Amino acid sequence: MKSQIQNIKNTEDSTLWSSLKAGDEKSFSILFEKYYSDLIRYGNSFSPFKEKVQDCVQDVFADVWIYRQSLSNSVVVKAYLLSSVRKRIARLQERDYIFMKTSTTDSIEFLFDFSIEHQLISDEESALKVAHLNSFLNNLPARQKEALYLRYHQGLTVEQIAELLQINYQSANNLLHRALLQLRKEWKGNLSLLLLLSSTTF
Amino acid sequence: MQERNNYTEIEDFLADVSFQLWVRSKVDNQGWEEWTLENPDRAKLVENSRLWLLAMSVHHEEIPSEVIQGGLESTWEKINKKEKSSAEAKRSTIELWQKNWLKAVAAVFVFGFLSNWFYNNHFVFNNSESTYNEIIKDDYTDLVEQTNHSYKPQIITLSDGSSVLLKPNSKLSYPKIFTGNTRKVYLSGEAFFEISKNPKKPFFVYANEIVTKVVGTSFRIKAYADLPNVEVIVRTGKVRVKPNPSITNSKEKEIILLPNQALRFTRQNLTFNKITDITQDESFDHTQGNIEQLSFEFTDIPVEQIFKTIEQAYLVNIDFPLDKLKNCHLTTSLNDQPLPEKLKIICKSIGNNTNYEMNGNQIIITSNGCN
Repeated sequence: MKSQIQNIKNTEDSTLWSSLKAGDEKSFSILFEKYYSDLIRYGNSFSPFKEKVQDCVQDVFADVWIYRQSLSNSVVVKAYLLSSVRKRIARLQERDYIFMKTSTTDSIEFLFDFSIEHQLISDEESALKVAHLNSFLNNLPARQKEALYLRYHQGLTVEQIAELLQINYQSANNLLHRALLQLRKEWKGNLSLLLLLSSTTF
Repeated sequence: MQERNNYTEIEDFLADVSFQLWVRSKVDNQGWEEWTLENPDRAKLVENSRLWLLAMSVHHEEIPSEVIQGGLESTWEKINKKEKSSAEAKRSTIELWQKNWLKAVAAVFVFGFLSNWFYNNHFVFNNSESTYNEIIKDDYTDLVEQTNHSYKPQIITLSDGSSVLLKPNSKLSYPKIFTGNTRKVYLSGEAFFEISKNPKKPFFVYANEIVTKVVGTSFRIKAYADLPNVEVIVRTGKVRVKPNPSITNSKEKEIILLPNQALRFTRQNLTFNKITDITQDESFDHTQGNIEQLSFEFTDIPVEQIFKTIEQAYLVNIDFPLDKLKNCHLTTSLNDQPLPEKLKIICKSIGNNTNYEMNGNQIIITSNGCN
């Protein structure tokens, strides 16, 4: 069922994509409206300068249109756009880094924090657990956080994440795996602590 | 949907779009509620997965549809601009090829000679204007750009208390507030800088092909877009200069300049030329402004006189209560201070509720007289 839902979404995208490639402006606009917000949000997690991010995202779309004829037919549109935005911001920041003489030219940092859905948590115990988990999540290395975000929020596959982060499949898998492993460890420790606390109060 | 019966780990659930939908938006198309209750072991796993997902939420800042439409419009503008410029490039090549072959060769030669002559005599005007734009474009901060269209130097005060005296026909771009570990400004034209001391946040001036780095000094930079040389002249303190690697491939290394030393960067062959004593070099006679020639060493000097000196140096107007400050004398050394710092020190030395207010090139001193 899940794969079916995704399929419908992907067919839509790929139909739009191929008519865009054929020069259909309407399809371009639909894809733009569909993904613009997402891309802006993703871009903002790398750079605090909103105008630059907007510029980058618009440049990505402009290039899609201008070079539409040389684009591949078989892309997952969302993954392609996310990856293009990321690359563009990275390139801009690299140039900036030359000035600052820092060594971190290799990649850009995902500066984003996960938040908590408070309104969906009814009891105090869960709230406590979720808060712990959340602060732990936000203390993970930036790259692991980004992998989690791409996997569970943008719904990308591990292959797509690997391609986007320009690492091999195994490394992408490890990123996710390590993040979840750490979380699970913390989760268990945290749970027993909570149990201990609640048992002493009674 | 039978897939979920095989789920054994939290991440199986996390990746399930329909599960996400159920947890986040309470849309239960797949009967998750019922399915969960079928089996108590399962219920625990589902509950844990739910909590994980809730801890992993992403704050969605809604972007209004007008903003998206605006974005779409500016994207089309970008496309048109890009397509136009590439079409122009294409057209001119085609035209050249359509001419007969000999004519084209001749044209290339003539063009070559002309441009060589032009390059040597006039330097590349457009190119250097674009250097300024190019360095500006790479900056992430929102910059304020100030151009001096008047016929006399203009004083600019930066957020860190530094002051810049900008010459006519020159422009300076700087962030409203300096953030991060560096202070960066961009200059096209000529200006005299007095930088407030802060070793933790070095101050950088990007001007044409060179980058000047200081922690707190005063110096002049002359970097006009249409002149063949770029010059840095140091008045106080220590200044480091190096080529800007993203603009030029000059091989020159960073050099250090001390007071009364200067550096001349020849843009044509990309070389540095260090002048160890500007007082011995005639070509620097005219580059000095009032500000470098005036002394700010005051020994028992009437305040009125000190204000006059500042007026001359910075080309500002100072309004002060003459009757109250008539008999006030000060002894102080202000050579190395930016303008706001100079005013602050003077006001403090006069004491007695003396304050200053600066508005462009208008300075107002309020005071109840000196002690």
